[in-house]
Amino acid sequence: MEKKIAVYICTGCGIGDALDIDALSKVAKSEFKVPICKTDGQLCGPEGVALIKQDIESEGVNTVVIAGCSARVNFDVFKFGPDNIVERINLREQVIWCHTADDEDTQMLAEDYMRMGLVKQKNMYVPEPYQVESFSRNILVVGGGLTGLTAAVESAKAGYSTILVEKDAELGGYVGKMYKQVPMKPPYTDLEENCIPNLVKAAEDAGVKIYKSATVENTAGAPGMFDVTIKQGDSTVQERVGAIVLATGAKPYEADKLGHLGFGKFPNVITQSMFEEMATAGKLEASKVAFIQCAGSRDQEHLPYCSAACCIESIKQALYVKEKNAEANVYVYYKDIRSNGQYEHFYMKAQQEGVVFVKGDVTEITEEDGKLTIEADDKTMGTTSLADEFDYVVLANGMVPTAALGDLVEEEPAADEAAAASDEPKASTPPVIKANLLNLAYRQGPELPALKYGFPDSHYICFPYETRRTGIYAAGVVRAPMDMLSAVEDGAGAAMKAVQCVEATEMGQAVHPRSGDMSFPEFNMNRCTQCKRCTEECPFGAINEDEKGNPLPNPSRCRRCGTCMGACPERIISFKNYSVPMVGNMVKTIEMPEEDEEKPRILIFACENDAIPALDMAGINRLQYNAWVRIIPLRCLGSLNLVWINDAMGGGFDGVLLMGCKHGDDYQCHFMKGSELAEIRLSKISETLDRLGLESERVRATTVNIMDYDKIPAMLDEFAADLEELGPNPMKDFA
Amino acid sequence: MEQKNVFSEPVKYDLTFAREIFRLENGSYIKQCMNCGMCAISCATRDVMDYSPRQLFNLIKLGKKEEVLTSNTFWSCTSCCTCKARCPRGIPIIDVMHDLKKYAIDHGYTNYPQAAFYKAFWNEMSVRGRMFEGGMTARYFLIRGLDEILKAMDMKDVGIDMLKHGRMPLLPPKKIRGLGGLKKIISKAQELDRKEAR
Ligand code: SF4
Ligand code: SF4
Ligand code: SF4
Ligand code: SF4
Repeated sequence: MEKKIAVYICTGCGIGDALDIDALSKVAKSEFKVPICKTDGQLCGPEGVALIKQDIESEGVNTVVIAGCSARVNFDVFKFGPDNIVERINLREQVIWCHTADDEDTQMLAEDYMRMGLVKQKNMYVPEPYQVESFSRNILVVGGGLTGLTAAVESAKAGYSTILVEKDAELGGYVGKMYKQVPMKPPYTDLEENCIPNLVKAAEDAGVKIYKSATVENTAGAPGMFDVTIKQGDSTVQERVGAIVLATGAKPYEADKLGHLGFGKFPNVITQSMFEEMATAGKLEASKVAFIQCAGSRDQEHLPYCSAACCIESIKQALYVKEKNAEANVYVYYKDIRSNGQYEHFYMKAQQEGVVFVKGDVTEITEEDGKLTIEADDKTMGTTSLADEFDYVVLANGMVPTAALGDLVEEEPAADEAAAASDEPKASTPPVIKANLLNLAYRQGPELPALKYGFPDSHYICFPYETRRTGIYAAGVVRAPMDMLSAVEDGAGAAMKAVQCVEATEMGQAVHPRSGDMSFPEFNMNRCTQCKRCTEECPFGAINEDEKGNPLPNPSRCRRCGTCMGACPERIISFKNYSVPMVGNMVKTIEMPEEDEEKPRILIFACENDAIPALDMAGINRLQYNAWVRIIPLRCLGSLNLVWINDAMGGGFDGVLLMGCKHGDDYQCHFMKGSELAEIRLSKISETLDRLGLESERVRATTVNIMDYDKIPAMLDEFAADLEELGPNPMKDFA
Repeated sequence: MEQKNVFSEPVKYDLTFAREIFRLENGSYIKQCMNCGMCAISCATRDVMDYSPRQLFNLIKLGKKEEVLTSNTFWSCTSCCTCKARCPRGIPIIDVMHDLKKYAIDHGYTNYPQAAFYKAFWNEMSVRGRMFEGGMTARYFLIRGLDEILKAMDMKDVGIDMLKHGRMPLLPPKKIRGLGGLKKIISKAQELDRKEAR
């Protein structure tokens, strides 16, 4: 397809007043010989849009370059169909709103952005969506407890053939065995009948295909084409599904490890599930019962985290006792009662019923004539407190996700000795635990990678269900400890994510967070050295290896972050509309003033997910910042290829700044590892820079989240001041 | 602050006393306390109290009847309403304090001067339906005894100043109109109170 380019410069929103528009048009017309370059007073208005549409229709324009507002706004207005390329040059948020009007430096900035936009579109092509062969729209739910049943019912009701695999002979999981359940509806104060029988019926009515006493033996493939081997007894069945919900739940923490609380020593010290069994069997006879919260949880020697459901489960069980015998004395020993959200009402209800809550750490449990005595370090009274004559002491023993039960996959020993000997910084590999839940046939390990405590890793704040294996969504207590209300929400949420995944994959589009993106990495295989960096660094395990050791991409697993593109030392991975040469050429097209002009240049690679919005926010708030900067948005800092830094330093830039999301255990990177990998790569070139006589401080990485926009001016000024101290880049005059 | 007056001896939970207190007009609200400590940090007179409101509530749950009834906590409450306004559990703490004062007086725990003051105030009020400072002072010292009168002599300058500024009339004021009606209201309320207590 031959490109026919047209540039439209919007003069609205003050752009026309702050900049010399004629000079800007000249860059397009004379420097870049763009055949059509028009200006309009309000391009986003009906007339402006009509103007562009008309050129597309009558002039055959297929590449539209709009210089005006940020690409983050009016994207729905400037939409001209899948066959046309649209490139936006941000003259508003990142030029006139944050730099002096009618100023030489501001004008130079705007002209550079015009050049960069025009060079960028030269390297952009319309992506052709990837089509999965023998695509399946079915959804598989693994685990038939509260969350799994909810997910199965929701996806079946949404019109997707749903398959449910449950390892036990009966559906229902942990909740299924409960006498009664915590309230799930307003006013959130009353015990409710167990909802599992109705849910099971709903699943059957909705036509969910149910495999009981079955496990998943193998999961191969990718979204839209997962091939799942289900083992039931001695036979196995193959199912092809489009997406998977993992809802395998949790197991109570091993009470045998709670000897310090009397478990195993005294028969009447029992666990929550034992108490539940007693209530279900109608064998609950007690006039004095104590519950001990955080038995194992929030304890560095046992489970360091809060199990989130045990507080309200104990409150529920305390009410069982009161229900049978209103005169019974019930005590709850706690650190903090965590009855989140609506369950605060439930907590208060139990107090009104006369359950006594004691804030304190239990120090000792003793028994005499079958009655138990509790000694505690009472936090309210600041002393030791005693209570005795207990019939039962119930331990709220917390939960361990099923994903954490199994051996850690050992890291492969480094393939060659050179690699083993080098102390090059390496990205941390996520732990994968052989929990026997999905048995993925992925090069990167058989289960979902964990972050902490064995819970599958996901972007906790923004897209909690999306694990690091595209198309597989974790929900319920396997994902994080939670109460029943949250588990139901999780089940429905993950089912909807699975539905989105199936729909997006069918259209060849990416799932969250680049939903709608149709580009995917393409490999120029004949130059591949089989270094495996792409395979190892892809945060989503999208790349397998073929028999010959070549990377084998699975496009529908890909989230289109570009991390592989940034990793590849041969620079052979590219997207139709995002590539190493594209960004490299953008760097090279920026005009570099001579040293004596005293106009330093700072290149910023900014992550599109948080740093670019923050930079836009700075503009929206009219914060003024250094006009020496030139900003290039990246899909993710993970896509940063080091050659761009070479291009920049060799081209005379005085400094390069990477702006990405926070990394570490509480990372905010939308692609999990991107910003971490970028910093690791950066640390590798500092030596090279030093060798070239270039101070490594000239290239820096920083983390910015969207709320840091107000810190941006100071951040840039500080960097600029440091660079001034270092003096101009000595390569400037060779450039 | 919160940890003053804690026990050095171990304490033991016994709900018998608590169940009695829970039956007072506002007593059952005590059950709702979640130990957040807001009342303790909000209280204007916490510094002079033996126990903060929440500690007092916990003592009730512990069955520490003597400690509760001989403590100065509720007598030091000035009914400023800050705790009640701030308690996230909506406990009307000052009303609970009033209930406890009444309970203490009814059970003979009247050692605190505040108890005498309440009684004097009430008796003086119910005679005329109005306050007569001189009469109330006399009643107060009658209850408290001679020692207190001697102590009160230290305050004579204040008294003289108040007299000079017409803040302490020498003669009692007139009775209110409809005093009979007020008395009826009071006895009706007392009757209701007795009924509820049963
Ligand atoms: S939910 Fe309650 S009992 Fe369970 S770990 Fe958290 S604070 Fe402790
Ligand atoms: S690194 Fe990113 S772009 Fe590359 S294959 Fe993996 S998910 Fe796709
Ligand atoms: S990173 Fe590049 S060279 Fe290395 S294996 Fe992947 S495609 Fe081949
Ligand atoms: S503010 Fe209310 S809930 Fe909090 S400790 Fe005081 S009485 Fe209890």
